[in-house]
Amino acid sequence: MSATLVVKDLMVSYGESKVLFDIALTVDACQVVACVGRNGAGKTTLLKTIAGFLKPISGSVTSNDMSLVGRASYDVARMGIKYVPQDKKVFSDLTVRENLELGSYATHDYDWQRVTSYFPKLTTLMDRKAGYLSGGERQMLMIGRAILGSPKLLLIDEPTEGLAPSIVTQLKEVFRELSRKTALVIVEQNLPLVCAIAEKVYAIKDGRIVAELTDRDAIKPAVCERYL
Amino acid sequence: MIDAQLLISAVIFGLSIGAIFFLMAIGLSLCFGLMRIISLDQMLYYSLGAYITYSVSVASGSIALGVLGGMVVAGLASFAVERLILRRIYDRDIAFTMITSFGVLIGGVGVIKYFWGLVPRPVQIPLSSQVTIAGTEVPVYRLMLIAISLLVYGGLWLFLNRTIIGKAIRAGIESIEHVEGLGINVYRLFTVTFIIAGSLSGLAGGLYAPLIMVDPQMGLDVLAFVFMVVIIGGLGSIKGTLVSAFLVGQVVSLGSLIYAPLAQMAPFAVMLLILLIRPTGLYGTAFLKR
Repeated sequence: MSATLVVKDLMVSYGESKVLFDIALTVDACQVVACVGRNGAGKTTLLKTIAGFLKPISGSVTSNDMSLVGRASYDVARMGIKYVPQDKKVFSDLTVRENLELGSYATHDYDWQRVTSYFPKLTTLMDRKAGYLSGGERQMLMIGRAILGSPKLLLIDEPTEGLAPSIVTQLKEVFRELSRKTALVIVEQNLPLVCAIAEKVYAIKDGRIVAELTDRDAIKPAVCERYL
Repeated sequence: MIDAQLLISAVIFGLSIGAIFFLMAIGLSLCFGLMRIISLDQMLYYSLGAYITYSVSVASGSIALGVLGGMVVAGLASFAVERLILRRIYDRDIAFTMITSFGVLIGGVGVIKYFWGLVPRPVQIPLSSQVTIAGTEVPVYRLMLIAISLLVYGGLWLFLNRTIIGKAIRAGIESIEHVEGLGINVYRLFTVTFIIAGSLSGLAGGLYAPLIMVDPQMGLDVLAFVFMVVIIGGLGSIKGTLVSAFLVGQVVSLGSLIYAPLAQMAPFAVMLLILLIRPTGLYGTAFLKR
């Protein structure tokens, strides 16, 4: 069976400034992969390129043998590859219900029970404007919106940044549950979380992958910390 | 002391001008809010709406049919411009899109001159009756313009708040990237928004045609006022555009009543004052950044 995501020799630039060099990574079905690295290492750029928001200079990005390069980001999302950005930006003028409606509109998946089973709190917040949600609630809504349509791959950027420990624990369990049916690529600085859920870790430094950890024994905070 | 009857007339006059400003400005505001483009070509659809109203009303004798025709042709023209020109430049700098849309406007004015000539054209007023409000005779047609603009506002509100496309447009005004990330084809939203904008500009031209002489420069004449309405109201805000349009209409009308040159100058002063207090406009929000 072909991999859910294969990136080969990927080069990306912002104008004249090159930010990613020869990136190569593989994500199998239902695998949890983490990318760690310092701020500015190129992790977000990598996710945005996979999701179709940035065009690479060269290299290939494929999902189940279908190329993603050159596709519009909405097309990539329709192929089941959803990007959850780190900015925790929900549509603040819309209610939680309307935010979810937009997720359903794109995917024709109106099974919100799955979303509320992961995040029961959203049930009580349906009629609240998303602009009034807390950081944790926003993250729940963003992930909830993204999992509609049962994507095959979720690209999640810094999901726990600035969140309370109780929410982080909840998200960890949600990611574990999600990975039964969905592959996850998580960019994260929270090493205990990364090491608890990731089956593979890529360390990125100055736009290059400098390490690939696949051995469970190697995926430990003390090891990952070397690359931060 | 201003005579009460004169004051009532001026207020109604101001509200009717505001109604036209609203219909024109709403397109400009929505286009900036969603696509982050300054669509000066809306003034072309306004002129086109007026000219089609003139031609159809002369041929058929029906102003209503003319206005409807003007709205449809303006909508079709805006669709063509969006698909053929603007879609290629959405990613470009905002100044680039503004200059391009201004080029479309100027080119379109040239086409209008080619087909209809330079001579201003009169359109007969469909309703010449008047009603008495507080002892003042008020033209029914001007009241109708105000009513139509309020109906359009209500219709737009329902569209944006009750339909999924409308909700996607509202979401897109906040962050087009996040809407796209959900798997929604944003270019389809752009087209729908642009057709609505162009049609409403055409409607404005058709409705205003009986009150002015239809001439090729009519779009350029109101450009500054419409721009002001959008900025005072807050970019992307429907409610702000309505309030601002009526405010600018009143400032123009009452300003000319007090001292004629004020009609041109006072709206700019009001805009500067409002921007000093609220830099994002009356109902604009800080998130509207390109």
